[in-house]
Amino acid sequence: MGSVKINNLTKEFNDVKALKDINLDIQEGEFFALLGPSGCGKTTTMRCIAGFENPTMGEILIGDKKVKDIPANKRNCGMVFQSYALFPHFNVFENVAYSLNIKELNNSNVFSKLGIYARLLNRKFGKPPKHIEEKVMEILDYVELTPYVNRLTSELSGGQQQRVALARALVMEPAVLLMDEPLSNLDQKLRHSMRNTIRRIQQDLGITTIFVTHDQEEAMSMADRVAVMDHGEVIQIGTPTDIYSHPKSSFIANFVGTSNVLKGKVIKRDTNETTVQGNGFTLRSIANPKKEEVDMIIRPEHIQVFLMDTDVSNEFNNTMNGKILVSTYLGSIVRYDIQVNDYTLVADATYSSGANILKEGTPVKLVIDSERVLLI
Amino acid sequence: MKKIANFLNGLTIIKVLIYLFFFLFLLLPLFSVFLVSFTDEPVNLLGALTDPAIFNSTMEKLKNMSLDNYQAIFSNKGYFEGLKNSLWLGLMVTVIVTTICIPLAYGIARTTMPFKKTISALCIIPLIIPTFISAYAFIIMFGRTGWVTQIYHSLGGEGMFIDPYSMTGIVMVQVFFFFPYALWPLVAAFKVSDVTLEEASLNLGAKNWFTFLFVTFPLAIPGVISSFLLIFTVSFSDFGTPIILAPKNLNLLVVEAYREIAGFYNWGGAAILTVMMVLVAAFFFWLQHLFTKGKNYGSVSGKPKKQKLNDNKLLTRSLSLYSLLIVMVPLLALISIGLQSFATTWGKDALPSGYTLKHYQTVFTTSMGNIQNSIILALGALILSVIIATFVSYFVVRQNSSKLDFLTSVPLVVPGIAFGIALIQTFNTAPLHLTGTALLLILAYTIRRLPYMVRSTMGTMRAIKQDIEEAAINLGATPLTAAITIIGPLMLPGIAAGSLLVFITVIKETSISILIAPAEWAPMSLAIFQNIIRGEYYTAAAMSILLVGVVLILQAIANRMSRNKA
Repeated sequence: MGSVKINNLTKEFNDVKALKDINLDIQEGEFFALLGPSGCGKTTTMRCIAGFENPTMGEILIGDKKVKDIPANKRNCGMVFQSYALFPHFNVFENVAYSLNIKELNNSNVFSKLGIYARLLNRKFGKPPKHIEEKVMEILDYVELTPYVNRLTSELSGGQQQRVALARALVMEPAVLLMDEPLSNLDQKLRHSMRNTIRRIQQDLGITTIFVTHDQEEAMSMADRVAVMDHGEVIQIGTPTDIYSHPKSSFIANFVGTSNVLKGKVIKRDTNETTVQGNGFTLRSIANPKKEEVDMIIRPEHIQVFLMDTDVSNEFNNTMNGKILVSTYLGSIVRYDIQVNDYTLVADATYSSGANILKEGTPVKLVIDSERVLLI
Repeated sequence: MKKIANFLNGLTIIKVLIYLFFFLFLLLPLFSVFLVSFTDEPVNLLGALTDPAIFNSTMEKLKNMSLDNYQAIFSNKGYFEGLKNSLWLGLMVTVIVTTICIPLAYGIARTTMPFKKTISALCIIPLIIPTFISAYAFIIMFGRTGWVTQIYHSLGGEGMFIDPYSMTGIVMVQVFFFFPYALWPLVAAFKVSDVTLEEASLNLGAKNWFTFLFVTFPLAIPGVISSFLLIFTVSFSDFGTPIILAPKNLNLLVVEAYREIAGFYNWGGAAILTVMMVLVAAFFFWLQHLFTKGKNYGSVSGKPKKQKLNDNKLLTRSLSLYSLLIVMVPLLALISIGLQSFATTWGKDALPSGYTLKHYQTVFTTSMGNIQNSIILALGALILSVIIATFVSYFVVRQNSSKLDFLTSVPLVVPGIAFGIALIQTFNTAPLHLTGTALLLILAYTIRRLPYMVRSTMGTMRAIKQDIEEAAINLGATPLTAAITIIGPLMLPGIAAGSLLVFITVIKETSISILIAPAEWAPMSLAIFQNIIRGEYYTAAAMSILLVGVVLILQAIANRMSRNKA
């Protein structure tokens, strides 16, 4: 019931195409991330699913049901907003209880409707029934907010507000949980622990979750699958490891992690190996591209850095000579900017305590495994 | 099928109802009165839609449309004189107010003049007294037996120092009771003009007065022009002062229109005067809009600019003295009414001959009904305008409904007396026979004060982020439920502030009350007016003090509320 299918979704705002032919197939119980730079259409996609935007073309199915004619308030998509959008005049309990009260409101006669309106407008006019209270307390316990149940949301920390927003969305037992950059307002440390909390809850409840973010680390560390978007298009869908090791374009290679992107031309094709010539160097790769003009993509951690006189002969390896331009110590690794002919390559070397960090200006030999050179 | 379902959603129905309300009670009356200016006879457009006989007679009237009334503007000496005098009155008041306000505004905004707080506080007095009461206070002061006249006589003067029953009298009252409308925009303009430019001028060797004249003042000019036009419209549309003070031989449009309708039932004449008033007021309103467009004087930026206040002793002291003299006049007017309300008789000497509470007793025994009426009518208008304003701001802010935005600002342009005439004309026969009912009075008050209410609610509406509402909808609420349970409560501060303003202005309202309030629903303002006309000055004074008291208390509550929120 919780799968989401998007077919040929297109959205135009005054002739500007915000979404171009989006196709997504999200499995039930999956944690799916929409990743991309700002303005790429990821939030618009989510708002179309939630029903806040009407698609110009295409269809959306939630649990095999077309949602085109279902208004936003009947879609049963719990949403966690970037700003949390907590109701400032309600306390934590009332915020979380809202959807349950509304459900009660919709299922009652005119007379009890008035009673529910009254108590929504002022807590002096009565308490919600037992079953609502129990459910709210259960979910608040789950997100560890029980001590704050009577606080106003403005009296909570950012992380606590975030959990209220999450609890409020979860309590309605949504078919899909939508999260719009939920961690962007938190500080670094909190963001890490909230990542784990969200992932744990999602796994526990097995709830289909769509997560919008511009932070590749967030997407990679939390999601089962990631769709990378740019300029209103989905460019690649895959598991985090898949996308990292086999980016479909140099844009993704750079957006998901850091990459060295070099332009070159195929000069020789063997059965197991392609040789590409760039400006002043040649590289061999096990990839077999269809094109002649290619981008060579090499991750920084796949470039090994040695002193000039080290013996590194190995027939599968590419070697290049360069000179250290900048070395940056980053704790567990050292990042070198290395000049090779006209290019500056970035290489990461693991650093263990006591080892030497190469000085700027040191001539070095670079070794790149031909398995690690991607050709796109 | 889906279209129909969409159409029937709660909010759309409300939107349609609001449009219907504006159409029925604002546009239709104005349009009808416009037609009457051609037909010279009342037209019943609503009746024409429901009753074929009325339809035929209306068509007959429309066939006989002529420009006779428009020619009468020039041939009928009264109309032309009225227009000329009204424009002249507006112009004089505007020029004088602007002139006296510039030093006052400069003093408040840019100097350390003594008694600044007292002066600012006293500037509230003119705003809480309805103009016909101020006019009446001027009679107590400057009339034949007024205390100023008495003092003037004892100093050897003859006749009256200033005749209140004259153009001069009307100009005086309007100047002293409308100046705060110009003062605060001017203060704002002086406060925001760029201080660094002035410092540059001083740095280049210019003298202080030179800097003021050629740097500070020109920078404030857009603000000056805008308040200039505002005062003109206010003075031009004012009914309270002229109706009390205008002598028989002085024609003013507002008085002329009132006489045509209340005295002679001359629909054609009243209609043409109404059209003239609306056109003039609309023109000046449009001019003002033109000048203020894109210029935001009150704008608050994150970094407040620290302004150096002028502390030249001679300058600040003389400015303070000057300002106190100006704000003293309305204060003395209020005190005069207060004295009169306690006086046994007053007129032989500069002070009353004795003091009594008898007049208050009279008011409480005979006029409780009027007080009650005022409160019921004001509450009615308040409830109606809260409901309409809340939804209007929702539609304007969330759905960008610029048409509604425009519609709610239309009443700002229409002078009260003109609007009253339009309403009477339109609703004095079936199918919607409302003239003479409290309902029409409430509707008129509501529409007239709606712009203030909407301004207040729209502000808070803008402050509520869209995603709060989306969150409610996402959690299952229909847009209407979200509006009631989330948006409504969050707008409460704005609604409360606006409501008080509506309540106060309705209690003060003169022209509409005098023109269309039926005898059994006479509010305080009408009762006071009738007392003044009948010459029962002492009772009028006591009731005026009560009215001002009510307004003052409410104003204090409003101020406290807005301070707490800020």
